[in-house]
Amino acid sequence: MKWSQFFNTSIGKKLLVGATGLFLCSFVIVHLAGNFSLLKEDGGEAFNTYAAFMGHNGLIQFIAWGLKIVILIHAVIAIQLTIRNRAARPVKYAVRPGNKTSSWYSRQMAVMGSVLFIFIVIHLSQFWWAMHYGDIGKVSYGAVTEVGNLYEVVWFAFKESWIVALYVLGMVALSFHLIHGFKSACQTFGLNHPKYNGLISFIGVWFFGILIPLGFAVIPVVIYIKQI
Amino acid sequence: MKLTLKVWRQQNSQDKGRFESYQVSDVSTDMSFLELFDVLNERLINEGKDPIAFDHDCREGICGACSMYINGRAHGPWHETTTCQLHMRAYNDGDTIVVEPWRAAAFPVIKDLAVDRSAFDRIIQAGGYISVNTGNAVDANAIPIDKVDADAAFAAAACIGCGACVAACKNSSAMLFTSAKISQLALLPQGRPEHKQRAEDMVAQMDKEGFGSCTNTGACEAECPKGISITNIARLNREFITAGFTSK
Ligand code: HEM
Ligand code: SF4
Ligand code: FES
Repeated sequence: MKWSQFFNTSIGKKLLVGATGLFLCSFVIVHLAGNFSLLKEDGGEAFNTYAAFMGHNGLIQFIAWGLKIVILIHAVIAIQLTIRNRAARPVKYAVRPGNKTSSWYSRQMAVMGSVLFIFIVIHLSQFWWAMHYGDIGKVSYGAVTEVGNLYEVVWFAFKESWIVALYVLGMVALSFHLIHGFKSACQTFGLNHPKYNGLISFIGVWFFGILIPLGFAVIPVVIYIKQI
Repeated sequence: MKLTLKVWRQQNSQDKGRFESYQVSDVSTDMSFLELFDVLNERLINEGKDPIAFDHDCREGICGACSMYINGRAHGPWHETTTCQLHMRAYNDGDTIVVEPWRAAAFPVIKDLAVDRSAFDRIIQAGGYISVNTGNAVDANAIPIDKVDADAAFAAAACIGCGACVAACKNSSAMLFTSAKISQLALLPQGRPEHKQRAEDMVAQMDKEGFGSCTNTGACEAECPKGISITNIARLNREFITAGFTSK
């Protein structure tokens, strides 16, 4: 089988969705670690220095652009598969099993993914666009001079309760997407073994599904509360 | 018991089809679900009406013919049970039971509840065999096989090709069936020489038939009357990935 044929099969496409999905999982860990510096009330020194470093380091810029392409590849192939899957059942059942044979979030990957996609677009236009192409205030901290004050932009945005609600909603979608997604990607790669299944489930549900989205969601909520 | 049956009636693959309701009284709890249909069909024939077409053969849970989607469940509510082994004691007096055919583009309706499952045959024809003559039965233990692998191959070979996995899957995916047919050979030494070609050909055929892809919801495993596990799907993925990366 040629590569072109391989990646056109259902399993080949699933592999691409799984591989890009796991790459995104590794990204969210790094992203969250950096974001916690937003909670420091140091006038933004830690966060802005970090953001400036991320924005100017060549390798990180390369990865950051790659990341956006990876999200697109992930979403496009996943939606392509979803369309094929819908077409595989042209006449629907009159009575459905509900949650008796599968969990509801495992059936809603495309819906949660789409909510995430909308969230990511809003999120990028709000902060990433402002940082790179917008007209934001500049600050200096000792050796670090004239860096964009993204810290202020973020704190300002999270004064608004509906923006905070939007971020929490985005993270609820991330949570359900990853509770199923991490485990599912492992199964797609053939990683299913009685000695490791417990660990895979644990990491998928508790680490990626609950801890990470909760960590992200806490930040806007805390910033909001501090400003009322 | 007195029951109301809402049964999918469809003249042929072109017909749009519709539900029709039937009242059946004097239903014994000892009847099997198929016997309920026998009684109803006898009445329809006596009334000069067209009996309901449904597939059945062994009526003991081993042939896989009796495809019926009952109240939202493939083969009805009982765990690891085919429709022929489902008994009316699963229901209460006055219940309404909705019966539909397997729904999948790859399983077109022939008539009423009978669907064409020859797509499964074509998946097997694409590679679910060993193409050389393996000769007479050799002495026991002449070919050493790990007991764990032998048991797993045997468990996979229990698949009866009923199609409940496809019917239960929200994507009408045939991954559980295909993985069982691949595993029963991949786990045994006789099946190893052709394992790469087999995985590639069977997956290609599965896609060509118009089955959906696997999103690992596990509905297939929950509904399989033979308890085929989705660990077989992981094995199929491994077989297909190794084939894709290393076949010439
Ligand atoms: C950009 C918006 C996104 C969309 C539209 C989307 C959509 C989807 C869909 C439909 C699936 C199911 C595919 C299948 O099972 O065949 C899926 C799987 C997955 N997604 Fe996403 N997703 C998005 C973002 C993300 C993000 C941000 C992450 C990680 C942080 C992620 C991680 C995963 C993982 C790990 C899987 C499982 C892959 C598998 O089952 O093999 N996705 N995604
Ligand atoms: S895997 Fe199970 S549900 Fe699917 S065809 Fe085989 S026996 Fe039927
Ligand atoms: S009629 Fe053979 S399995 Fe039900």
